[in-house]
Amino acid sequence: MNSSSAIVQTVPSSEPSPMHATRLRSLQALGIFCGFAAGAWLGGAEAPIKLVNPDISPVTISLIMVFGVFLARWSVPALIRGTSHVRHDVRQAPHLIVWAVLAGCMWAVANTLTIYAIRNVGLSIAFPLWNTNSLLGIFWGFLLFNELRHAGWRRWLGVLGGAVFMFAGATLLAVALSHRGAAGEARLGIIAALGAGVLWGTMYIPYRKAYLTGMNPLSFITFFTVGELATMIAVALAYRGATPLWHELISARAVLFWLMIGGFVWVIGDLFQQYATKYVGISRGIPLSNTNQLWGLLWGILVFHELRGGSQTIYAQVAGGSLLMALGAVAIALSSANAREHSYWQDAAAREGQRYRVEGEYVRAGMEGKHFGANPGNRTLLDWLLILGTTALFVVLAVMARLPRVDIALGWAFALLIAMVALLASCGVALWRTTRFR
Amino acid sequence: MSRPNESIASLNLFRAIATDVHFWIPLIVLVGGLILLDTLR
Repeated sequence: MNSSSAIVQTVPSSEPSPMHATRLRSLQALGIFCGFAAGAWLGGAEAPIKLVNPDISPVTISLIMVFGVFLARWSVPALIRGTSHVRHDVRQAPHLIVWAVLAGCMWAVANTLTIYAIRNVGLSIAFPLWNTNSLLGIFWGFLLFNELRHAGWRRWLGVLGGAVFMFAGATLLAVALSHRGAAGEARLGIIAALGAGVLWGTMYIPYRKAYLTGMNPLSFITFFTVGELATMIAVALAYRGATPLWHELISARAVLFWLMIGGFVWVIGDLFQQYATKYVGISRGIPLSNTNQLWGLLWGILVFHELRGGSQTIYAQVAGGSLLMALGAVAIALSSANAREHSYWQDAAAREGQRYRVEGEYVRAGMEGKHFGANPGNRTLLDWLLILGTTALFVVLAVMARLPRVDIALGWAFALLIAMVALLASCGVALWRTTRFR
Repeated sequence: MSRPNESIASLNLFRAIATDVHFWIPLIVLVGGLILLDTLR
């Protein structure tokens, strides 16, 4: 098994020409901005779970969230570009459907593990543990996709130093954890969070493969979600059984809205994360989007009073650990790719194109965030049905929903929501102006 | 005429995927994740 198989060797290689320096800088800046916006939205997505009655099974919670995710992953692309663009992308690189579905399966399993982790060790602790996925992402990015090749010692220092900082921060938070809850539960929570980190860290292999080949993130996620929904349904049926699962879904109707909106918010964050991965690679894109740990901490402490009653030592450990992780992420973010490293990315992209016989211009246009080929057309009736149907469903669920009796600070919740919306708007405009959501 | 060509193209695509390490690494990790989830249940 080797990435450069015989197929590659039989096809003459084409030397990719370097991207214009101004365009490269512009795309790198855009990718970094997307990474930070992803952090805000991914962090906010876990908050609605805290509103849910702890009697509901984690698997059922995950299943309901994935229903929300599924709806978002079809309706958001339909709203932004229309599903005709998805068909256009798939015709160019049909093999990527396999990786999209595979990544979706991984996401679903990881998401279920995070619910076990949140239950056992709390949001503000679980986040940094599964965010060690960035270490794995750096490894895979270097090993499989030529990231950090000939990047120079400063960039290596930034990325590796940042990774060490993040690991130290995660360790400090794990130490803080040992003061909370039963030891057995805490151990299971740590294992679940780290397992989710491994799954998510490896899930970026399909992401990077797709975006090096030129696929649009809005197309990739529509097939991605087929894998996650199918996996979650299979896991839920196997774990709960059809009849108990159905009864649990019916009894959970008052919280369906919160869980599905959590899934929807996650998709917005994930979409920004996908664009970050596309334009700055997985070795930088993942740590940047892992700033969701800070947002999770803000939600946990300010809105849900998670560490209330804890000693000053615990506060100091959690704050110190989070700060270390954030500093590590910033160091990695400041080590963006130069032209020389980017030429190695282009080599990796050319290798993918040759292996799967994808048109070179499509691959190149994708890397540069430009349009390829004839315009597939505007939104169709199917797109409007997806948008209106999803909206109507969320309205119905909102009417059925009840705000659980949980002690939350509404003022802080609104403040965080406003910050998230501001990031969504500014980053969305930047994406549109620079790439037209390519 | 087109059918044999399509078969060959499909076979090549299958072979390319089945010999691609980018496919096997995520698949193995996914199986590991499912086993972990089953253990935690």
